[in-house]
Amino acid sequence: MPATLREPSIDLRSRFEAVVMPHLDRLLAFAIRRSDSVADAEDAVQEACIRAWVGFADLRDDANARPWIYRILRTVLSDAREKHGRRQQLVYITRLEDAHDDLLGGEKDALFSEVVARLDGEAVHRALTQIPEDFAAAVELHDIDGFKYAEIAEIVGIPIGTVMSRIARGRKLLAGAIVAELGANPLETETVSQSDISERRTVRGGPR
Amino acid sequence: MSDNPSIASSLGNPAEEAVRESRHQVLRELLGAYADRELPPETIAQIDAHLISCVECRRELDVQDAVRARLAKEPPAAPSPAFRARLGAALDALPAPVIAVAEPASRDAGVRELLHRRVTWIAISGWVVAMVLALVLASRSGGSAAPSDGARALVAPVKSVPLLDGVVNDYARVARGELPGRARDLSAVRAALGFPIEPLRAPNLRLLAAWTTSIAGEPAAVLAYRLDDQLVVQYLVAEDAFFRHPAVRSAVADRHLLTAAVDSKSLVAWPESATGTVLIGNVPSRLLQDVWTTERAR
Repeated sequence: MPATLREPSIDLRSRFEAVVMPHLDRLLAFAIRRSDSVADAEDAVQEACIRAWVGFADLRDDANARPWIYRILRTVLSDAREKHGRRQQLVYITRLEDAHDDLLGGEKDALFSEVVARLDGEAVHRALTQIPEDFAAAVELHDIDGFKYAEIAEIVGIPIGTVMSRIARGRKLLAGAIVAELGANPLETETVSQSDISERRTVRGGPR
Repeated sequence: MSDNPSIASSLGNPAEEAVRESRHQVLRELLGAYADRELPPETIAQIDAHLISCVECRRELDVQDAVRARLAKEPPAAPSPAFRARLGAALDALPAPVIAVAEPASRDAGVRELLHRRVTWIAISGWVVAMVLALVLASRSGGSAAPSDGARALVAPVKSVPLLDGVVNDYARVARGELPGRARDLSAVRAALGFPIEPLRAPNLRLLAAWTTSIAGEPAAVLAYRLDDQLVVQYLVAEDAFFRHPAVRSAVADRHLLTAAVDSKSLVAWPESATGTVLIGNVPSRLLQDVWTTERAR
């Protein structure tokens, strides 16, 4: 049985506040994208914080607090999904992959960057709900929450090679979902001429 | 045949085309990690060289960059002051964790192990304390019941506690339909479950039916009573299921009665020797608390 010692509870609570609470806004945003309502997301974050506080002794290095609390939140959200039978509004992956391949097959990709940059938050969230959770989580943890691949591997509990492929494939599916969401030929409805596209390609430095 | 524009000129040599296509497919799979600067320098150099001649990979890289750049602009969600206050209160209500010196095998295993240890410790020490108190009080008052330590409201939302949420949902279903059995079914319920089941006794309480169900994935006994002219239902679960959630443990610590309310429904909950009871009804909480007081006086 391990020996135990007690850290003064006030110090411990201050330490908890210092290492966990600064991430509350990002945790809440992550939960909102996976919940039916802000209230549900708040409940999930609260439950994660309670579990984190109860298990705070397991956090050996405060520098690891952020991936640690995200890992707990993912477990809470996963439990909630299982309990409520919540399902994402998934679109067939093959349809998203086809949309992505069409994007690469034409001259639309230059416009795609600009269209994506102008998407509002609601459209981004909608697209994220259309791709499988495993891919969405990996992409979000990297692109939105700023985790490195090794940290994501730790949060999700998968090998780093799997993280790599989930992020790359997740972005492809997301691009497909965005294109599919915008309509049959959304990028052609933009008032940008073919010469504009060529010009943009030249400005961006040609081949990479 | 490859549709990669970069190798269209090499179609005359099938072997060379196959090698280039294979290389293209491998490098293409790495473009996400390339965009994220998560590859070793030598692989980055190989992809740099490949991109010079591969239009398809350049386009794919643009797509990866575009999606990543847009997602990076997603703002965080500012927690409301009410949420911060609720969270603070929930944390305040919990005991401070104990720092263990030994390194757990893994974080998750560590959390589970700690929770399990705490549940076991609280369950055991709580009942040791209860037994000692009961003995002391019995010796002082000639066997009369220990005084109650009062009710304590649940600080977490009922919805966030799987046991209580499951009870609320099951009660709503039970209240809408016909009761599935009669009191004589109690023996069958006892035979089906591995923990002791004793019906509540109070002057204005009469057992109507008993059956088994599953609450939050755990087996439970359901005992339906008539309390005056209202239906109240008792859910009995094993002690490990009862003590699982920290908010429940916190509320019932020191021999308190957990109280909560959802819409017009009141809940009370308390631990027993090897089980835990959740009593729910569409009645004022005071009536349920009276049942608990009577039960403790037995």
